[in-house]
Amino acid sequence: MSIFREHKTSADRSASDRARHKKKIEKAIREGITDIIAEESIIGHDGNKKIKIPVRGIKEWQFVYGDNEGQKKAGAAPGNDISQGQVVRKGKQDQGSGSGNKPGNDKGEEVYEVEISLEELAEYLFDSLQLPDLEKKKLKTILSDRTKKHGVKTKGIRPRLDKKRSAVERIKRKAAVTRDAADNNEEVEEEEAFPFHDNDLRYSNIKNKPKEATNAVIFFMMDVSGSMTRDVKFIARSFFFLLYQFIRYKYEKTEIVFIAHTTEAFETDEGRFFSRSESGGTYISTASKLALEIISKRYHQSAWNIYAFHCTDGDNWPEDNDKAADTLFELSEVSQMTSYTEIIIPGTSPAWQSDIEKNALISKIKSKNGEKLKINRLTSAQDVWQVFRALFGGEI
Amino acid sequence: MSSYSLEELESWDVKISEIAKNFGLDWYPIAYETCDYFEMIGNMSYHGMPSFRPHWSFGKSFERTHTMYNSGQEGLPYELIINSNPSIAYLMLENSLYLQILIMAHCIGHSDFFKNNRTFKDTDAEHVTLRFRSARGRIQSYIEDPSIGIDKVEELIDACHSIQYQIDRRGRYRKTEDELLALFYEDEKNIEKIKNNKIKFPLEPEFDILLFLLENCKSLRDWEKDIIEIIRSESYYFFPQIRTKVMNEGWASFWHYRILNNLDLADEHHLPFLKTHNLVLRPWIGALNPYHLGFEIFKKIERERGIEECFLAREIHNDESFLMQYLDQELAAELNLFTYSMKGRKDADWTIDDLSDEEGWQECKSAVINSVAGNSIPIIFVEEVVGNVLILKHEHDGRDLDLNYADNCVKNIKKIWKNPVKLFTIIEEEDFEVS
Repeated sequence: MSIFREHKTSADRSASDRARHKKKIEKAIREGITDIIAEESIIGHDGNKKIKIPVRGIKEWQFVYGDNEGQKKAGAAPGNDISQGQVVRKGKQDQGSGSGNKPGNDKGEEVYEVEISLEELAEYLFDSLQLPDLEKKKLKTILSDRTKKHGVKTKGIRPRLDKKRSAVERIKRKAAVTRDAADNNEEVEEEEAFPFHDNDLRYSNIKNKPKEATNAVIFFMMDVSGSMTRDVKFIARSFFFLLYQFIRYKYEKTEIVFIAHTTEAFETDEGRFFSRSESGGTYISTASKLALEIISKRYHQSAWNIYAFHCTDGDNWPEDNDKAADTLFELSEVSQMTSYTEIIIPGTSPAWQSDIEKNALISKIKSKNGEKLKINRLTSAQDVWQVFRALFGGEI
Repeated sequence: MSSYSLEELESWDVKISEIAKNFGLDWYPIAYETCDYFEMIGNMSYHGMPSFRPHWSFGKSFERTHTMYNSGQEGLPYELIINSNPSIAYLMLENSLYLQILIMAHCIGHSDFFKNNRTFKDTDAEHVTLRFRSARGRIQSYIEDPSIGIDKVEELIDACHSIQYQIDRRGRYRKTEDELLALFYEDEKNIEKIKNNKIKFPLEPEFDILLFLLENCKSLRDWEKDIIEIIRSESYYFFPQIRTKVMNEGWASFWHYRILNNLDLADEHHLPFLKTHNLVLRPWIGALNPYHLGFEIFKKIERERGIEECFLAREIHNDESFLMQYLDQELAAELNLFTYSMKGRKDADWTIDDLSDEEGWQECKSAVINSVAGNSIPIIFVEEVVGNVLILKHEHDGRDLDLNYADNCVKNIKKIWKNPVKLFTIIEEEDFEVS
């Protein structure tokens, strides 16, 4: 007679070992991430969304047999229509490998998928990283007093009169008087009004609760002119993804504003931000200018921690350079961090742009000496992680 | 979640057990645990043990199993039962009713095998779950001990895993060092050696490498010895399952087939059962399906020699002796067994060499035997200790080792031995040293 038990515990027995395993393949995951994240949508997912990352896992070293080109292996066929010389499996020369079913001892190339939730991703990618130091300072000064009702008291000022509670007290008193009268066999006079007594009145007790701002708004700004290739946008997207996940990890509430620009800037949504390609030139300054406008209308810096990240391929109309540096600096002054990132894939920059021109804008930005204004260069998807860590204080 | 209740499962179990008993099966009582998919994958990562020692490799195993099941699996889906008394088995709630019935019948076959096959006689099924739980607790305490910590524990376990299955699989009677010495002195051939003080240590090759390290490594601390012994005893517990995989799956399949055909199932269960059965037992190209192989051999034995011999076989054989005894040319041809290789050319296509005709069937049989019963695990033994150098040898059977893996294993053994380690093997017909 068998016993049947329902599994009761909700504890995930493999959680700890899986976490440890993921930690060990952190490097492989990070490398795998840059391939995957550019495909991922940046916004709109909670921490439980899982990303599947293909990894070449850590080898477990055991004594095993080698390829042994002369050695014979055994197989079985479903029918007898087999013949000597027939190909069972293609060799490595053909880039193919064995069909589905392999026995457990095949050491093969172990590529499998590791599922990571955004929470986990954030945890061990970002744990050692910090928001810019300035942020902590700012947090202390962005305090808005929040008033909160906390109970009632019997004395207070007129505006704080809690009418509902007072009414309740009056009814209680009336009921008591009526009972009293009944007990003493007195006539209860039906009164039209049972007036309030001072003792009935109740006033709200107010407490001052200082509130820290735990909101962040991120401005993602990108050049969407014709010179921005798909590859460059791919790198930008990976960068933006990490930035978003990190900031979201640190703040309770994060909003994003997508600003795309050519010679004009416009606010847009994520889809169009990455897919729209406009023709025409580039005025980088327009993006920060629009960001500043939006900030003054919707995201006042006393209530919001503002981050701004601008990605371009460095290609700006020279006459705009001064303005670009100015507006970027202005933006950085109201933000926790503003970063200007040039993405230049080696060998692909426009031939007509001289080296001096390429660096002109960056020099101007540098000369502003903005504490919160950072300058980065990305040349490939692999750079993304390095640059990202450098921004937030991790070792490279 | 499912369209059947626990009570329904219980009543099916009663029917299945009745039929099994009448057939003569004799099994450990089974304790079924219901679980969901993730718990199932989790349990599989720990070989079905309710408690298991912690290690990242089980996390990896989880990810791999999960990936595999996402992309189409092998074998009977989600069957998991352990060699214990009572036998703990898992039923995944997402399974439909016919599959649960099939799995329960299949489990009875396994439990009967665990109970009766003599390869398992020293596995102490009554206490295994307690042993594993205790081992887990101790390793957990070493991890939490500030003077040890997870990195050191992990490094040692990683190293032990490298030689986990280099154990004494022949289960010979172990002579003591004194007995060996006595025999040594008796043998006249050894007089020269005795005179010149050239008595080899150890006197005889030691196939249980972990044991050798345990007994001869001078610098091991208590916690290290404990971990080595835990892993070693775990290997001895699991090895019988490796040695009898074909027989065990064949036996369980043989009986799930028989039992389900006797249950008088309605079409809604019977048809999908047949479909699943055929799927699980189909031959895999290019590899051997143990379910297929074992099932066909037991069917053959019953056909030709009667059911009694089946019961006897399940008691006394392991995969190697089982195949040696019962795999003849007729069966090989029936199963369309063949051999294939790269014909000695690196990275070439794998093409068929021998078929199971009169000419080639012996080759096929050899190749099959080479891949079962743990024969795909290289045999490495301790040959000698010279000074502080540990000398290992690979018992070469015609198959070369993978050098990269061997190299890393030797590195790992050094971490335990803490002195030089050399491994002698043969690569492409020439002597080779890994150190």
